[in-house]
Amino acid sequence: MIMQDSSFHRDGFVLTSLESLISWARGGSLWPVTFGLACCAVEMMQCAAARYDLDRFGMIFRPSPRQSDVMIVAGTLCNKMAPALRTVYDQMTDPKWVISMGSCANGGGYYHYAYSVVRGCDRIIPVDVYVPGCPPTAEALMYGVIQLQNKVRRQRIFVRGGAVGVLT
Amino acid sequence: MNDEALWAALSSAEGNAHLSRARDGMPTLEWLQPAGWLEAAALLKADPRFQFDLLLDVSGMDYHAYGQVEWRTEPATRSGFSRGVYESEQPYCASWNKPRFAVVYHFVSTVLNHRLRVRVFAENNDMPVVPSVFSIWNAANWYEREAFDLFGIHFEGHPDLRRLLTDYGFVGHPFRKDFPLIGEVELRYDAKEGRCVYEPVSIAPRTLVPKVIRMDNRYLPDEGVS
Repeated sequence: MIMQDSSFHRDGFVLTSLESLISWARGGSLWPVTFGLACCAVEMMQCAAARYDLDRFGMIFRPSPRQSDVMIVAGTLCNKMAPALRTVYDQMTDPKWVISMGSCANGGGYYHYAYSVVRGCDRIIPVDVYVPGCPPTAEALMYGVIQLQNKVRRQRIFVRGGAVGVLT
Repeated sequence: MNDEALWAALSSAEGNAHLSRARDGMPTLEWLQPAGWLEAAALLKADPRFQFDLLLDVSGMDYHAYGQVEWRTEPATRSGFSRGVYESEQPYCASWNKPRFAVVYHFVSTVLNHRLRVRVFAENNDMPVVPSVFSIWNAANWYEREAFDLFGIHFEGHPDLRRLLTDYGFVGHPFRKDFPLIGEVELRYDAKEGRCVYEPVSIAPRTLVPKVIRMDNRYLPDEGVS
């Protein structure tokens, strides 16, 4: 038996499910695509900079949607920008998540009654976490990131009943 | 060249324009119709007395409902700010007898260190046309495109008069005072079609009523800033 191997007794071992392991890895390496649209982007940069340092959460901002897992929509989404936002979202590889940051991205915010602004980026792409604020502080965005990590880690990867073992 | 010398030179060369001094003290040339403006512009650039080599900005103006005092805080605490919500019943202020659209230029001479403001009215309210000064100041290119985009002022002779800021295929000119603030269309992603689609706007316009009523004494001469 493998359990009788002396190295197990010497080094110890950990038991987990593959699903937990994958979720844990995903949650700990959320790479956001840079999508700063307005002043929220400054808070996002603040969040990524030395004081709050999103790198600690395994978040490294990527310039390419192909390398990204999460999109932080930081700022006012205009009508003219919306198709581009959708294109970038479509270019991201699955699995992918979206953080809507600030009042404008959440629901139009200050520009809700304006002619040129999308009344919430969830009209264009599905959103996982809404971070309120105008703009949200860096702490608030970090809290949203942690919420998303919790969500990612709770997500069940293998479909049970039916197609067993298929990655979704 | 000092201010008086500029004033004297402008007075001698104003032609069919009207020279005045604005409240901020800046000399202001005003054309009630665009005729003669382009020739004068070339003169302002080339004449050694003026040498306005730098065009600072080109702005559109819409004098629709000019003079209405809706944005004063105290009356609006009762009625709310309805601008862009309802069509104004009285389009023009009774005392406003000039055309609806104007273009305002600001010039500075880096050589002689003086400044000038020029206001050119477009004669036709339905189809405002003003000659382009792009051939004189290259900087006018995007400024005029912007004014065309937002106010619908046409600049005759502009080499590439396209919209600059608004959405592709946008209809209307949003900075006109009769443009509804909520616009005509809104955007959403249609999963079936796999693209963003435009739909007629679904929300109702709203009159903004300030929740805090305050005494607005900023413009009172006596009580001003204490």
